[in-house]
Amino acid sequence: MGLNVLVGPYTITALDGVAYGLLLFTIAAGLTLIVGVAGVFSLAHGTLYLAGAYLAWHLADGGWGGLALALAVAVVLGTLGGVGLAVVVRPLVDRPLDQVLATLGIAYIAADQFSRVFGAEPRSVDPPRAVAGSVSLGDYQYPIYRLLFIAIGLVVVVGLFWLVERSRAGAIVRAVVADPGMAAATGLRTGAVRAGVLVGGAVLAVTAGVLGAPVIGPSPGVDTTVLVYSLIVCVVGGLGSIRGALLAALGVGQTLTLGVAIAPGAAAFILAAAMLAALTVRQRTTIPGQPA
Amino acid sequence: MSTTLTPAATGTPGRGPLRPPSWGMPTLGSLGLAAAVALPWLVNGYVIALAATALVMAVLAMSAQLLVGWAGLSPLGQAAYLLVGAYTAASVATVTSLGPVQLLAATAAGAIAAVLTGWLAVRARGITFLMVTFGLGELVHAAANQWAPGGSEGIHIAPVVALPGLPAMVRPGWVYLYVLACTLVVGAAVAVLVRTRFALLLRGIAAHEPRVQAAGHHTGRLLLAAYTIAGGIAGASGALVIAVTRYVSPADAAMGVSALALAAALIGSGSMTGACAGAFLLVAARDWASGLLGGHGPTLLGLCFLLLAYLPRRRLAGLTLRLSGRRT
Repeated sequence: MGLNVLVGPYTITALDGVAYGLLLFTIAAGLTLIVGVAGVFSLAHGTLYLAGAYLAWHLADGGWGGLALALAVAVVLGTLGGVGLAVVVRPLVDRPLDQVLATLGIAYIAADQFSRVFGAEPRSVDPPRAVAGSVSLGDYQYPIYRLLFIAIGLVVVVGLFWLVERSRAGAIVRAVVADPGMAAATGLRTGAVRAGVLVGGAVLAVTAGVLGAPVIGPSPGVDTTVLVYSLIVCVVGGLGSIRGALLAALGVGQTLTLGVAIAPGAAAFILAAAMLAALTVRQRTTIPGQPA
Repeated sequence: MSTTLTPAATGTPGRGPLRPPSWGMPTLGSLGLAAAVALPWLVNGYVIALAATALVMAVLAMSAQLLVGWAGLSPLGQAAYLLVGAYTAASVATVTSLGPVQLLAATAAGAIAAVLTGWLAVRARGITFLMVTFGLGELVHAAANQWAPGGSEGIHIAPVVALPGLPAMVRPGWVYLYVLACTLVVGAAVAVLVRTRFALLLRGIAAHEPRVQAAGHHTGRLLLAAYTIAGGIAGASGALVIAVTRYVSPADAAMGVSALALAAALIGSGSMTGACAGAFLLVAARDWASGLLGGHGPTLLGLCFLLLAYLPRRRLAGLTLRLSGRRT
C-alpha cells in the first residue's frame, strides 16, 4: 500500500529518466575525459555508441551468450576504435578545428556505411529472454531490463568514480586535466595518458551501445542524437569532471523523460537553458590543455 | 584565425611571382559571371539544380566565413538560421509568392534568431563556441521537428515570383538565375561589409581580443553583432533554399549542412570567394561526384573532411589570399 503512494505515472517516468541518465553518463563520461584530458573534440563519439547498438542487434540471440559475446566484441571494437582515433588525431595536436573535421569525416563515413549494411529502418533490440519480462511496481508494470540497466549503470558510476578519484591511474588523468604542462614536467607521459583516455572512452561508448540498445535502439541518426546529448552533458557538467557529468547526465535524463511527459516540447529549451546557466556560471569556459 | 592574417603581411614587393596582373581578377570575374549567367543554356536541368544548390550553400558559407575568417569563431550551427529563414519565407509564401519579400523576411528572421541565441554563443571562445553553436543548432532542429508546420514531413511551397508582374518560376533555369541574382546581391553586401571598420575590429578580436578591449571596444557586443549579421545571411540562404526546392523540412538544418558550411569556410581560409569556392567543391563532391560513384554522398563528404583536416592550412591560405588579391 505504501508502494502505491510512491508509484505514480510520474515516478515510473522518473525511473525511466534514471535509466536514460545513467546511459548518457556512461557515454558522456568517456567524452568529457576525451575532451578534457586528450583535448580531442570527438564528433565520432555517437558513432561509437551506434556501432555498439548495431553490434548488439547483430549478435543478440535472446540468451546471455549473445550478450556476453557482444560485450566481448564491444571491448575489442572499442579498443580498436580508440587506437584508431588516437592515430587519426595524433598529427592534429593543437589544431582543434582539424580534429573536429577529421572526427566528423569519420562519423560521416561510418554513418553512411552503417545505413548501407544495416538499412535505413530502425532496428529493435530485445533484452535477453531471462530479463525480458516486467515486474509490477504498485499498479504499474516495469521492464526488468531497465531495472537491471540501472543497476549496471550504478556499477559503472561507482567503478568510474573509483578509477578516476581513487586509483593511481585516475590521479595521473586528473593531473593531466589540471595542468598538462606541469604533468609533463613531472615526468608523466601525457601522450600515453591521452591515448589511454581515448581508448577508455571509446570502450565505454561501444559497451554502452551494446547494453543500451534495448533503451536507445540502433537507427540512422541515433549517432547524432547521442552525440548532442553527450555534448550537453559535457558542457553542463564541466569538461573533464566525472562528478559534473553524473549530475548533468541525470538532469538531462530527467528532462528528456519527465520533462517531455509534463511539458512536451519544452525539453529542448530546458536543455538550452541548462547550457546557458552552465556557461554563465563558468564564463569564458576553456578547455584545459587547449588554447582558448 | 590569426593564420589568415599572416600571409598578407608577407607581401613584400619583388616577391610572389604568382601574383596575377592587375587586370587579371576583374577579367576572371567577368568571365566567371558570364559563364554563370549562360549556364542554364549550356547544361541539363540536373546540373542547373545542382548549381542552384551550390549557390545556396555558398551564401551559407559566407555566413560561416564572416565568423570563421573575420571574428575567429567557428560555428557548427549555421544551418539553424537557414532553417529559421526557410520557415519564415515559407509562411510569407502563403501571403505573397514575391521572392524578394520572402528573402527580406527570411534575412530579418535569421538575424532575430541569431541575436536571441547569439548572446549565449558569444560567451564562449574556441572549441567551446563550436560546441555551443552545435548544441543550439541541434536544439533548433529538434524544435522544428516538434513544432514547425508539417512536422518532420516538412511543407511544400508555391513557386517563387522574382519581380511583380512576372510569371512564377517553374523551370530550373529561371530559378537558378533568380538564386544567382540574389547570391550576387548578398555577396555585394558582404563585400561592402568586410571593408568596413567593423570588419577590421572583428579581425582584431580574432588576432588578440584583450588588445581590442584595451582600446575601449566592447568585444562581446561586436561579436554579437557579427553573429547577428551572420544569422541574417544564413536566413537569406533559407529563403533561397525554398526557392530552389519549393519545400522545407527540419532536415534542412541537419548537422551535415552546418558542417558543410564550416568546412567550406575553412577551405576558403579567410576569404569570402574562397568560402564560395569551397561550397561549390563540397556540393559537387556530395551530390555530383557521389552520383557518378553510385550514390555515397556522405562517405565522399566524410573523405573530403578528413582530407581537409590534414591539408596544410597555411599554404592553402596563402594561395587563396594571393589569388583573390585581398587587401587587409
